[in-house]
Amino acid sequence: MGQYAIKRFLTIIPVLLGVSLIVFSFIHLIPGDPAVAMLGERATPQRVAEVRAQLGLDRPLSTQYLIYIGKILRGDFGASILRGDPVLRDLVRRFPATVELAGAAILIAILVGVPMGIVSAVWRNSLFDGGSRLMALTGVSMPIFWLGLMLAWFFGVVLRWLPTGFRLGTDVTLVPVTNFYILDSLLTRNPDALRSSLRHLILPALALSTIPTAVIARMTRASLLEVLSQDYIRTAESKGLPQTIVILRHAMRNALLPVLTVTGLQVGRLLAGAILTETIFSWPGIGLWIYESIQARDYPIVQGATLFIATIFVMVNLVTDLLYAAVDPRITYD
Amino acid sequence: MRPIAAVTGLLVLAVLWFGAGPVRAQSTFIFGAQGEPVDLDPAIITDGISSRITRQIYEGLTKYKGATTEVVPALAEKWTVSPDGTVWTFTLRKNVKFHDGTPLDAAAVVWNFERWRFTKHPQHENQLKAGKTFEYYEAQFGGFDDKSLITKVEAVNPTTVRVTLKAPQGPFLANLAMFVFDMVSPTAAEKYGTALSKNPVGTGPFRFVEWKVGQEVILEANKDYWDRANGPKLQRVVIRNIKDSSQRLAALKAGEIHGMEGVNPDDVKVVRADPNLQIILRPTNTTGYVAFNYRVKELQDRRVRQAIAHAINKKGIVDALYGGTGMVAKQFQPPPLWGYKKDLKDFEYSPPRARELLKEAGFPQGLKEITWEDGRKEPLTFWYMPVSRPYYPNPKEIAEALAADLAKAGIGVQLQTTDWAVYLDKRKNGQLPLYMLGWTGDNGDPDNFLCYFFCNPGASREGFYSNPSLAEILLQAQKLTDQAKRAELYRKAEQMIHDDVARIFIANNQPPLAFLKKVKGYVANPTSSEYFHTVSLQ
Repeated sequence: MGQYAIKRFLTIIPVLLGVSLIVFSFIHLIPGDPAVAMLGERATPQRVAEVRAQLGLDRPLSTQYLIYIGKILRGDFGASILRGDPVLRDLVRRFPATVELAGAAILIAILVGVPMGIVSAVWRNSLFDGGSRLMALTGVSMPIFWLGLMLAWFFGVVLRWLPTGFRLGTDVTLVPVTNFYILDSLLTRNPDALRSSLRHLILPALALSTIPTAVIARMTRASLLEVLSQDYIRTAESKGLPQTIVILRHAMRNALLPVLTVTGLQVGRLLAGAILTETIFSWPGIGLWIYESIQARDYPIVQGATLFIATIFVMVNLVTDLLYAAVDPRITYD
Repeated sequence: MRPIAAVTGLLVLAVLWFGAGPVRAQSTFIFGAQGEPVDLDPAIITDGISSRITRQIYEGLTKYKGATTEVVPALAEKWTVSPDGTVWTFTLRKNVKFHDGTPLDAAAVVWNFERWRFTKHPQHENQLKAGKTFEYYEAQFGGFDDKSLITKVEAVNPTTVRVTLKAPQGPFLANLAMFVFDMVSPTAAEKYGTALSKNPVGTGPFRFVEWKVGQEVILEANKDYWDRANGPKLQRVVIRNIKDSSQRLAALKAGEIHGMEGVNPDDVKVVRADPNLQIILRPTNTTGYVAFNYRVKELQDRRVRQAIAHAINKKGIVDALYGGTGMVAKQFQPPPLWGYKKDLKDFEYSPPRARELLKEAGFPQGLKEITWEDGRKEPLTFWYMPVSRPYYPNPKEIAEALAADLAKAGIGVQLQTTDWAVYLDKRKNGQLPLYMLGWTGDNGDPDNFLCYFFCNPGASREGFYSNPSLAEILLQAQKLTDQAKRAELYRKAEQMIHDDVARIFIANNQPPLAFLKKVKGYVANPTSSEYFHTVSLQ
């Protein structure tokens, strides 16, 4: 297991190098002069020259790439063209918002998706099964931005139950400690902020959770159905064990493995989905930041944030693989 | 089933707990901006999102009055100018203090001018090192150090500042009214250095409280504001960053924000139909045009240009594609500018007249192909921008409508576009035969519209258009300080541009803002420089 972990860890190096190469070439794939593209219609030649120099566009490509990698390794993700702020600092500052949102979404997805899958599998082809499969299909196919706008419109504008966006109301003050607002509210014992941040979290998390909920529900159902048809389940049932025990204790254990894998994969998709969700709900995380930076053609941010997310994605997959091995002792790795 | 009951119970509890939040203080004004500010140091910003905020915190020597571009006193109470127009003497208001308690006196004003002007000034040099530039100072005053039009700024006494120019500049006071030339506290600037961008200290009606990155900027009323009679009516101002325009409108409808900018043209009707909401149109300061390349032989013939002008149904385009906020343009300056020529007679929309003119010019079969001066022949291509701008909110649809109009007059064009940076580059190099573009004014002065385009005859950026007598008039107007005389020259210039069909002006747009009905006193300025201290909530 330990050896496997090391081997598996080493495989991420070429992956990350590949990602860095793609991210690096972003800037060279833009038609026209990237400096002009960033500065727009009123760019003065002097400012264009400055930005070109700042980006190192005047050097050979291979040199530029090496310099880029060297800086990344030293933790220097460059600085925003627009604001001049270091990219890494803002990444760290904004990441908690995205984690909070994605965490809430994955929590909803597991809490709703797994039971939905179990019920569907146990009462296969029942009305509930049909309904939940239809919902899963809808969940997978529904564009997040549309769903997000509908949620905001219905719960925010029509019912006025929940805010249409943001992380905190303007009537609440919260002193950030970790930038995880729920945690910060608890740490600073601020019930108003806790309430406000939870209220603000519901709709975006719901919008973001639709796809993972659907995927998890489908996977739980399929995998549980497969397990339920196996001999040891029949043995357990013939022993006279109650159905809940058979399903929860015996079947789910095995059925959960593939569910775990897809959940891991969903984390990556959540980060991508966060770009839309955060934009629709003005959620000040990395997704909204990437969107704004693409629009402002602030390439150092786009590059830095993409590389960061890719790294997270690779890491989450690594952890999932390792967990997989831990959960299922039968699996061995060569 | 028990779990279902439990979940339902929890949901009910949640709704009870989450239900209506605390009642918001009525004196907090929440504005939905289209994005996050870049910086809050007025001297280095160029964008409207940042300047909307800095305008509440800072003030300059002069300002624009209400909804106009008329220049009136602000921190300077009055001024005089020498007969030759090169020496301006400003009398400052007494007892004005920055938010940090330091006085706004002549020394502070001189300090600000020097910071803008000298690249070696410590608070200028540090910005350069951080990759920021004093872009507008360079644009409005010709450059820095020796290149600067402003050559000397002296404190005559604590309330008098004398500014000496190399040559007279007509738009001088209008330039000083721009947000860029608002006065920052020298003490604060020296204390914070480049971090002044996140710790702004001015003299304005609101003082800075906090900038929550990615979320909002919070301001509060300046209780010691010098203008007691016109002090802020609000206690707090929150400017929230809401990127998505549908969400911004949803937040407004939900009453979470009080006002917003960047209403989609399609949403204007929705807002107008809502009894709780109101639309305020910003007086126009933006003109969209169609420009010619004068290295194309066919377009060198004025009759061909006239034919194109007669072929375009401007009213049809404005009515159909501007969501009710556009206006037909007949000259470069938008109507609120004081150099606007009211009695200029526009080209009448008449496809038959266009055909006639083409025939006279030797194209009885219409025009589909062009010849460049170097002999290259190619189909006539009409270029449209790939991005939406205030003057052309939906360029592709507008280009299609223009092409359809031209086709009716026998002018066949192929529509084309490209990446925005490439588009600007091709335009700069004079490679576009016929194209769409426009301008949004910076300082409310006619010079800012006309001279930028027509003061350099033959420039590739302007399609090699060369009209030296027009340039001469514009340069002459630039040097005068008498507004009446200048206005006369700008009106003359507009007539010359029209008679020569130098380019065709299509539309002015009045960008819409949306508010809750209970918001009173919001005055939208053409230059987007509005002050929230006139705003109140009822």
